[in-house]
Amino acid sequence: MRSDAVNNEMMIQIENLNRTFEHAGNEVKVLQEINLNIVQGECVVLKGVSGSGKTTLLSLMAGLDKPSSGKVLIEGEPISKLPDAFASELRAKKIGMIFQHFNLLEHLSVSENVTIPLIPSGLKMKEIHQKVNSALKLANINHKKESLASRLSGGEKQRTAIARALVANPDIILCDEPTANLDRDNSLLFIEILKELHALGKTIVVATHDPLFENLSFESTVIPMVDGKIV
Amino acid sequence: MNTNAFWHFLTLQLYKERSKHLSVVGISVMILFLLSSVQFISSSIRFSLEETLKVQPDFVVSRVQGGGSVPTPIEWSDELLDIYGVSKVTPRVYGRYYFAAKEKSFLIVGVDFMEEQSHETLQKLIATTDIKAFLEGKQMLVGQGVKAYLEAHFYKDAYNFLTPSGTFEKVKIFEILPSNSNLIANDMMVMPIDLARRVLGYGEEEVSDITFNVPNPDEWDMMTDKLSALHFDLQVVNKNEVRKSYENLYNYKGGLFLILFIIVLGTFALILYQRYSMVYSTERRHIGLLRALGWSINDVLKLKFMETLMVVFASFILGIFIAYVYVFVLGAPILSEIFLGGQNLQNTVSFVPVFDFSIFTSIFLIYALPFIAAVLIPVWRVSVTDPKEAML
Repeated sequence: MRSDAVNNEMMIQIENLNRTFEHAGNEVKVLQEINLNIVQGECVVLKGVSGSGKTTLLSLMAGLDKPSSGKVLIEGEPISKLPDAFASELRAKKIGMIFQHFNLLEHLSVSENVTIPLIPSGLKMKEIHQKVNSALKLANINHKKESLASRLSGGEKQRTAIARALVANPDIILCDEPTANLDRDNSLLFIEILKELHALGKTIVVATHDPLFENLSFESTVIPMVDGKIV
Repeated sequence: MNTNAFWHFLTLQLYKERSKHLSVVGISVMILFLLSSVQFISSSIRFSLEETLKVQPDFVVSRVQGGGSVPTPIEWSDELLDIYGVSKVTPRVYGRYYFAAKEKSFLIVGVDFMEEQSHETLQKLIATTDIKAFLEGKQMLVGQGVKAYLEAHFYKDAYNFLTPSGTFEKVKIFEILPSNSNLIANDMMVMPIDLARRVLGYGEEEVSDITFNVPNPDEWDMMTDKLSALHFDLQVVNKNEVRKSYENLYNYKGGLFLILFIIVLGTFALILYQRYSMVYSTERRHIGLLRALGWSINDVLKLKFMETLMVVFASFILGIFIAYVYVFVLGAPILSEIFLGGQNLQNTVSFVPVFDFSIFTSIFLIYALPFIAAVLIPVWRVSVTDPKEAML
């Protein structure tokens, strides 16, 4: 399903991707010549130790960072080269992101956090409320919708972050170390939710070093990464 | 972006981060209050000064001997009337009367009510005053400050003056002088000239000074020379010199305000810097997150602009309102001392409200533009960086 995938099924295409950083006057190569094709509905697990480049790769897929060379195409659109308004719209409609540290706004409630991606969407408040409620139910956090994010447990924060990633009904879900701050039970619960999303036909990319993702109970592709390269 | 959803989120943000916004509003209100109070006081004083000078006589002559004022002979009035171009010659009897109960002194002004007055305010008062009724008994017109002091000491309708000869003169209050003449008339008691002579101890043929008008301003300079040649001990002061002396006094006082103004602006600059830094530190992650969740740079700028505008507008309205109440309702305690303390006006002066929209505009621009810029510039800089970097 990787480099041999058919173009019209492609959800994410990565071509000759390189990312380098300047550190103390030296050039550090974080990603080197990455080529990767992910088709619609596929679940890909980027696996590797810390510093292997998986989070950077995920950020480039989400358009949160710009490549030093090469390109990332989301449904054929080069996300890093699009003008800001188009890139933002693509990110809002096509991509749901789950961060390692959840990145919730602590002063807002669960439902208010989940609302955020829909504010620029042009939807009316009634439609937004409907979508938020659906996402909260899907992520199994509806019972905490009025609670402040700052008062949630790690697992609840994770489910809020999942609801926020799902609220715009994106085709792609990108998860950065989603279980790094969860205990085993909550990690297994998260994997169950991923299974449901996979069943819904979402394209999922998980960057993790958690062994739980090695033998998932649903079809997935594990891609090992070492020193910024796919091996 | 749907307007309803945007406003919903904007009000939500303002409400949920109210402690942060309220502290900004609190400090801003204090700054705006000070800026506005200074502006209100100075424009009100300028207005009162202009209004008062407008109705002052053009010239005042008096006798000065040995460097000090002495009573002026009333026959000088006839000499003045003989000069071509001179009109409304009015001898005046005036002097300060010490009010022992409050350790204050009031200005007694004696006027010949049967003559046309060169002082327009007096002329207007006389025009509306029932002179016949006024001259029937011993009566006087008083400034608002005088009225307030006398009332506070149970002299509601009349006051007993102790004359230099040791007798008492009971004088009734007939009318109150208008508030827009307060800068000069606030501590004034206007009474018939003969009555003023008795209260102040002047002789029958003596006055304090003589006022008159010269309608042609081109003749003013020449008039001063002509008058000086009349008597060696004659002193002439024209309205422009009075204006200059007042302006000099207020410019000096204004200098003190300028120092206050600079201190306030310095404080404001520190707050702007703190606000600027705050966007970089605490709000950076927030902006990065919004961008990561699909908000465009314009969406973020719009949110932060509206958020700041609401804070700025609330602060502006509140600051102006409090300053207005402080200056025009409460009479600007403490601050008014800087402008009015230590000069002839020893009574409380009530400031006349002046609605000059250029004041509001200038205060808004001095405050709002730097404040909005101090938020939007760092917001824009954070917004254009990659969301991943902003969230670090």
